[in-house]
Amino acid sequence: MLKVAHTICPSCSVGCGVNLIIKDQKAVGTYPYKRHPINQGKNCKKGRDSYQILNENRLKDPLLRKGGLEQVNWEYALETAASQLKSYENREIGIIASGDCTNEEYETLKKFATTLGVENIGYNAKNIPTFNFKTAPLDDVENSDFILIIGDILKENPLLGRRVILAKEGGAEIIAADYPEKTLTGINSDEYIQIESTSSFLDNINRNVLENPQQLSTVIISGLSGEEFENSLKFFQDSHVKLLPVMEECNSRGAMNLLPALSEDELKDLLEKVKILYVVGDDPASYMEESLKNIEFLITQNFLVNETVLMSDVVLPGSCWAEKTGSFTNTAGETQNFEKIVEPPGNAIDDVTIIRELAEKMGLEL
Amino acid sequence: MEPQFLLAKAKDEELAKKGECGGAVSALFKYLLDQQLVDGVLTLTRGEDVYDGIPTLVENSEEIVETCGSLHCAPTMFGDLISKHLNDIRLAVSVKPCDAMAIKELEKRHQINPDAIYKIGLNCGGTVMPITARKMIEMFYDVDPAEVVAEEIDKGKFIIELADGTHKSVEIDELEEKGFGRRNNCQRCELKIPRNADLACGNWGAEPGWTFIEVVTEKGKTLVENARKNGYIDVKTPSEKAIAIREKIENVMIKLARKFQDKYLEEDYPAPENWDEYWNRCIKCYACRDVCPICFCKECDLEKDFYTDEDEIAPDPLTFQGVRLSHMCFSCVNCGQCEDVCPMEIPLARIFHRMQKKYRDDTGFIAGVSEELPPLYSPEKE
Ligand SMILES: Cc1cc2nc3c(=O)[nH]c(=O)nc-3n(C[C@H](O)[C@H](O)[C@H](O)COP(=O)(O)OP(=O)(O)OC[C@H]3O[C@@H](n4cnc5c(N)ncnc54)[C@H](O)[C@@H]3O)c2cc1C
Ligand code: SF4
Ligand code: SF4
Ligand code: SF4
Ligand code: SF4
Repeated sequence: MLKVAHTICPSCSVGCGVNLIIKDQKAVGTYPYKRHPINQGKNCKKGRDSYQILNENRLKDPLLRKGGLEQVNWEYALETAASQLKSYENREIGIIASGDCTNEEYETLKKFATTLGVENIGYNAKNIPTFNFKTAPLDDVENSDFILIIGDILKENPLLGRRVILAKEGGAEIIAADYPEKTLTGINSDEYIQIESTSSFLDNINRNVLENPQQLSTVIISGLSGEEFENSLKFFQDSHVKLLPVMEECNSRGAMNLLPALSEDELKDLLEKVKILYVVGDDPASYMEESLKNIEFLITQNFLVNETVLMSDVVLPGSCWAEKTGSFTNTAGETQNFEKIVEPPGNAIDDVTIIRELAEKMGLEL
Repeated sequence: MEPQFLLAKAKDEELAKKGECGGAVSALFKYLLDQQLVDGVLTLTRGEDVYDGIPTLVENSEEIVETCGSLHCAPTMFGDLISKHLNDIRLAVSVKPCDAMAIKELEKRHQINPDAIYKIGLNCGGTVMPITARKMIEMFYDVDPAEVVAEEIDKGKFIIELADGTHKSVEIDELEEKGFGRRNNCQRCELKIPRNADLACGNWGAEPGWTFIEVVTEKGKTLVENARKNGYIDVKTPSEKAIAIREKIENVMIKLARKFQDKYLEEDYPAPENWDEYWNRCIKCYACRDVCPICFCKECDLEKDFYTDEDEIAPDPLTFQGVRLSHMCFSCVNCGQCEDVCPMEIPLARIFHRMQKKYRDDTGFIAGVSEELPPLYSPEKE
């Protein structure tokens, strides 16, 4: 009747542990998960409210557009999606995922695309381009002698902010830089630099501070995207500092390992090229509704009702993280498994199963 | 009632073997479930390892055996879990003194029905944060924390047991001097024997294989008697010497706690400028309020628009923490939960415990122990 169960917070990329309180199969709250090495039972408000995701705006049945969206059974929904996908050329098919699917879903989706010969695939990377270097582990942040932070970590990713606070208590020097006049991270740093552009800020940085081999220096980059992000990476990459870029979604880092990272412009380009789109987890209608109008047939897989769902031709109801078994890779590159805790509502099912069944209906062997 | 002392042991061999002492607590739980005197038992089960205590509601008495044993690295709180989620059933619960104190305060505020709950108290020398425990086992014991199969606190030492049966121990004093060991609030905690529960069970004064029980309430007395009559526990009387030893240890522990109170609440109490620094970090996440078993007001003043003003970077401590202080500090039971969950590492329990201690010195009101409500309590909050 009452169950307290471990899971990983899905609300940002730090990867904190959190316990869900389940009463009569319904998530009713969270409980501190003190054994978790990342956050030791501490969660920010977003993390403690994460249980609400399980209860809000859920999709419970497959839907099919017949004028309006109507409830149909799985067989019919998958059959329709499969026959539509088969009626297009491979190059006319697009697949986009979000940064909060599980690693297992990315793997399955990747296999699906490869087997089908679809090249127009990627995930909404929120403008953070793919990178490939060893990032700083969270413990290094805490043990640093010097930390440079771009972005408001304390406010946006509090349990990473906590590591900065612990470093400070251990005597580290903290410098923060950001656009606003004042930030929470700024007022808790030894120095705050209000910047106008990252490039001019980087030009003025004293590299000596960063290159002192005697000390452990960490640079945390958050809130930057596209060119700014790439420039900062380049700037620090061949110095001896440890870098920790902060991604937005709970598994953007995992997605990056398996699928192409697509910026908003790249997503728009993809939409120009394709006629049928399969969306898993993302909500493209919320940021490129215009581009979606070119799409002839829209298949959406999600656990909740969003704008894209409302525009779709076929809707496949998936599961929320706590309703399936899988793993997320946090922003520091650490992969953490989590177990299924509750059943998905109504006729919703596990996302990997949906992708597999869709493939099967198309006659694909994954 | 007059306190009554006895030694008890589970008749069920498995419970006796797996129990921390005599498995008496588990046997009592089994009895309550079997006789349908309760609908569920709230205890702690071991998760992935000895550092992972997970609150578990047991409804089938055969599963009680899985909850046997003490977890010293599991600083959990049961008070609000019961008031928020288990108020609709008849319950038995294993309680550390701080759990029992929180439950008592919630009973007084009509958030927990005292007639629907059996409180089986566990004496408590303190709990260690799981990650702290792992770190200190690596550093001071030179052992991979994953290899520890059991841990216990005895005679001022934190003792670990490895898979091959070897034991290693380090003085708690030494650990705490270096910033490890028990949580700070536990170091200050002076309720070592939960006389605010129905029974207070422990190893102090017990013989090996037996649980020492101080029977505190009539309800507890009836429970022990009936469990014995129905063949769930064996009971015998402890020697005068055992009772005296137990009392002596308790007094030593209380004295030590007072020393720590002086240290943390007076000598080393953060200066105003340190508090300014702490409040600057506060992210207004309300974790401290939400976890506090005493803070239960359904419509908290803190959620009024004024306080959730997005533009303000850090809330004014006088308004934000001040509301909480003025509402509940008299009733702070020093459970340490607020501090445990604060993402910004603000030593919150120190403020609240210090205020309650001052209040206690002035009025004699002991949070979690006194029968009445604190004199300044306003009942419209219920
Ligand atoms: C943190 C801690 C510190 C203790 N310190 C002392 C001490 O200093 N002196 C002393 O005399 N006795 C102490 N005890 C009590 C002692 O260890 C035994 O729990 C008690 O004697 C009962 O023994 P038993 O064999 O009858 O219990 P068991 O039959 O083994 O049952 C123990 C019950 O306690 C529950 N439990 C385990 N850990 C916790 C926890 N952290 N919080 C709440 N419930 C829990 C279990 O789920 C189980 O239901 C402590 C117990 C704990 C949990
Ligand atoms: S910091 Fe991020 S991962 Fe941690 S609790 Fe908050 S939202 Fe969740
Ligand atoms: S506060 Fe007291 S009762 Fe609670 S865990 Fe610490 S020492 Fe035990
Ligand atoms: S203020 Fe903190 S220490 Fe006091 S009762 Fe509340 S959570 Fe426990
Ligand atoms: S838990 Fe800490 S950071 Fe959060 S509101 Fe309380 S004091 Fe502020």
